[in-house]
Amino acid sequence: MIEASNICVTFNKGTPLQATALRDVSLSVPDGQFLTVIGSNGAGKSTSLNVIAGLVRPESGKVMVAGSDVTDWPVYRRAKLISRVFQDPKMGTCEDLTILENFALAYGRTTPRGFSFAIDKTLRERAAERLKLLGLGLENRLNDKVGLLSGGQRQAVSLLMATSGETRVLLLDEHTAALDPKTAEFVMELTRTIVAELKLTSVMVTHSMAQALHYGDRTVMFHRGKIIFDVSGEKRAALTVPDMLDLFKRDQGEELSDDALLLG
Amino acid sequence: MSLYELLGTVEVGLVFGLVAFGAYLSFKVLDFPDLTVEGSFPLGGAVCATLIAAFGWNPWLATLGAAAAGFAAGWITAYLNVRFNILHILAGILVAIALYSVNLRIMDGPNKPLLNASTVFSGLEGWGVPTYMLSPALLLIMVIVIKIALGLFLHTGVGLGMRAAGANPAMAEANGVNVGRMKLMGIGLANALTGMAGGLFAQIFGAADAYMGIGVIIIGLASVIVGMSLMPTRTVAQAIFACLIGALLYRFAVALSLNADFLGLKASDVQLVTAILVVVTLVSQSSRSGFGKLLKRKPR
Repeated sequence: MIEASNICVTFNKGTPLQATALRDVSLSVPDGQFLTVIGSNGAGKSTSLNVIAGLVRPESGKVMVAGSDVTDWPVYRRAKLISRVFQDPKMGTCEDLTILENFALAYGRTTPRGFSFAIDKTLRERAAERLKLLGLGLENRLNDKVGLLSGGQRQAVSLLMATSGETRVLLLDEHTAALDPKTAEFVMELTRTIVAELKLTSVMVTHSMAQALHYGDRTVMFHRGKIIFDVSGEKRAALTVPDMLDLFKRDQGEELSDDALLLG
Repeated sequence: MSLYELLGTVEVGLVFGLVAFGAYLSFKVLDFPDLTVEGSFPLGGAVCATLIAAFGWNPWLATLGAAAAGFAAGWITAYLNVRFNILHILAGILVAIALYSVNLRIMDGPNKPLLNASTVFSGLEGWGVPTYMLSPALLLIMVIVIKIALGLFLHTGVGLGMRAAGANPAMAEANGVNVGRMKLMGIGLANALTGMAGGLFAQIFGAADAYMGIGVIIIGLASVIVGMSLMPTRTVAQAIFACLIGALLYRFAVALSLNADFLGLKASDVQLVTAILVVVTLVSQSSRSGFGKLLKRKPR
């Protein structure tokens, strides 16, 4: 479903601030897989998500989504195939618009926008039906501006919006990082339910190793612009957070010894 | 103030209501501070007057021609911003300055009189009611039709995309809205309204003038600010209506200052009064104390 091959990204190339974000990364996510991505700051996990979404153009490499080569597609064109939930709850929804208008925008992602009214009875019913899933009573507040909702409510609405329409690929960029633990868990459980129900191909970036192992069915770890390990299936089921820390330390150690070798 | 003066003020206020709709679209909806209007207002006047006086066009078609010319001007500004990443304010200034020369070319001189030419208001003669009473009525109908059309447009799929493109561009792109195209269309539309206002203004005063655009940006913006700080703006329809009321109130404030001999003001002081009025409104909007509370209906 998602096929990124030989992706290289360098920021501020040719300036003193040059930073290599991705070094020849290849990642393939088959149809219906829920992939979790971890890594420390600057490891390249968010950059790889941005490459898939189209916010960052790779210097070299190719991105295929649902059989189309999207490497040169702008963000708005990719939106037909890919939907996204941002880290900042303020980013995923439009606070000056009502809940219903936000839904109308999200439906416009896969159905062409025209000069007919954005909101009709069908949309109102579909949005209310989706919002009932949350159990937050938002189905009765369809005409309230989204700016009136709390961060957790907004993130839940973003998630519903991203999974409405016919999009098959869902990108989650640390979408619970800005929420309190209880709300974060609520949004994560909601994510799990929706992804399973709609059999979405999903990529979730997270800072939390526990979250990365607990949710989804495959985990990759980025370090210094490369994927340093990739686990799935039984091996992943047996893995715990301390195991993972050990793995990370070992890998970092190897990197360090490599540097030492080079310097020596 | 006599009835004649009163209706004259309403007439001009309604014309500037169209400019205020344009300013609402660019400044409020698209969050794009567009200064093109300083050039597109006289452009509309020049195109309209020239089409009527030199080419004998039907005045209604000439007014639409003014709107089309305005659209083109706004589109160029947005194109400079979207395609070449020129700062929006600068792009607007560049186009407005260029339009000054363009307008002189169009009119083949600094102005274009419409003496004895037929205008959209000519058809109002001979009804047994003075035209100074009928022309504000005709303008009112036109402005209300445009107000409703604009409100409906902003509720269509494309209109909703435009509102999202201004309010949260990253979110709009992620939801498949082509933000660049929305700017081209929206800023074009805003200047089409301004161009149309310029065309009507020229027909009311019987001439187009190269200098008629001076201060139009302030008039449009002041109308939006005054209207939106005094009136409820919860829905799009309310916000657009507030802009129209703002334009009328603003015009009355100007008329009052022009007639304020008792304050020692002269007609030439009008631009100073204008600027002070806008500053007072802006300050009252930003401050949460003092006279800000008096002006604001619901504090945010």
